[in-house]
Amino acid sequence: MESNTGNPELIMSEFADDPDMCDLVREYVGMMPRRMEQMTDAFEHNRREQLIRLAHQLKGSGGGYGFPILTDKAGKLEHFLHDMTGDDLAEADAEFRALLDVCSKLAA
Amino acid sequence: MKQDLNNDTDDKRHSVLVIDDSEDVHRLLQARLRQENIDLLAALDGRTGLAIAEQDSPSLILLDLDMPDMDGFEVLRELKDGSSAHDIPVIVLSGLHSPADKVVAFDLGAVDYVTKPFDLMELRVRLRAALRMSDLVDMLARLAHVDGLTGLWNRAHFDDRWAACISENNRHGRPLSVALFDLDHFKSINDTYGHPAGDAVLQSFAKLIKRECRASDIPCRYGGEEFALIMPDTAPEDAKFVCDRIRTELAALSWPAHPERKITVSIGVSGTDKSVAVTPEQWLEDTDKTLYRSKKGGRDQVTAIDVESGNMVEASAKAA
Ligand SMILES: [Mg+2]
Repeated sequence: MESNTGNPELIMSEFADDPDMCDLVREYVGMMPRRMEQMTDAFEHNRREQLIRLAHQLKGSGGGYGFPILTDKAGKLEHFLHDMTGDDLAEADAEFRALLDVCSKLAA
Repeated sequence: MKQDLNNDTDDKRHSVLVIDDSEDVHRLLQARLRQENIDLLAALDGRTGLAIAEQDSPSLILLDLDMPDMDGFEVLRELKDGSSAHDIPVIVLSGLHSPADKVVAFDLGAVDYVTKPFDLMELRVRLRAALRMSDLVDMLARLAHVDGLTGLWNRAHFDDRWAACISENNRHGRPLSVALFDLDHFKSINDTYGHPAGDAVLQSFAKLIKRECRASDIPCRYGGEEFALIMPDTAPEDAKFVCDRIRTELAALSWPAHPERKITVSIGVSGTDKSVAVTPEQWLEDTDKTLYRSKKGGRDQVTAIDVESGNMVEASAKAA
């Protein structure tokens, strides 16, 4: 994917050093490829409601796992999709790519 | 309110229901609250959350405001609006930049809020504070219904429950009996041995009733030396059997403060095994008359009647 090659630096969880959290964060990060796949699928098939839901869940959980930037980007996409008047998800391309970019860089 | 006289809130394990649409949030809370003395229940949407709240009556609800389909505000509204779970305290989980949401949530009856993403310490502290408060509210509600000297339910509680039991009997024809107890010559115990001795008798008798009745029965101190025992799902024959045992055990007790003086009780029982059209007041009056017959008959005895026919009934012959 285009965004993966843009910036190779990883985003570390704020809880990377918390022994109570590291297993949990690793599990969370481990599920990201699947989440990205689901979002890409929804985006490509123009399934707006599904994409809103997925973004919403990342928004709700990201910060809790030490990734506030994930909450931020997911919130922006969710917001955009909510306010969008047209039917074509391509309008949300920038917000969608930004979120995917963050997802791909998360590290435990 | 919890209908349990032995409800000890001190080391109670609480259950907390988390309603949030993100599984990741549930997993996170599960891990972060592992050390707290609580059981977490999980719901991924508002509808399910409401159902769990009503069914399991958790001590507290952590509610996400921002959920698809039914959001947290709607859940709060339904919860507070006539749901049986309406007095369960709710802590709202809200996004960082939505102060207006918090105001609305408070207006809808939330007790507190925690901002997402959670600060672990803050979440724990707020959770504990809310649980402590709900324990206190429970305790106060309970104390208003408990007799201070004996620890039995008081007259106010009796009146509440008696009316409820009667309407239950009227609607479903479930058996119901009530017993009134009057300690014999109690005044002379106070007069002869002093009030502490009298109080000890009241307390011992209360303990005896509590021990002998079933968990579903409702033992009350009715006033002075009068006690009452509501026995739901109990026909008068079975009620008389229970009361006979209480009477016998009391008569057999020895009293350190006055070994020479035994204590006895007179008891009136009335009940039915079918639906009857008798008012709570009339039913009690009839029971009181039955108690009077026990007094008249020489005290230390149980008289039992069928409340509809007024006929005397004998104790069932079941084994203890
Ligand atoms: Mg949410």
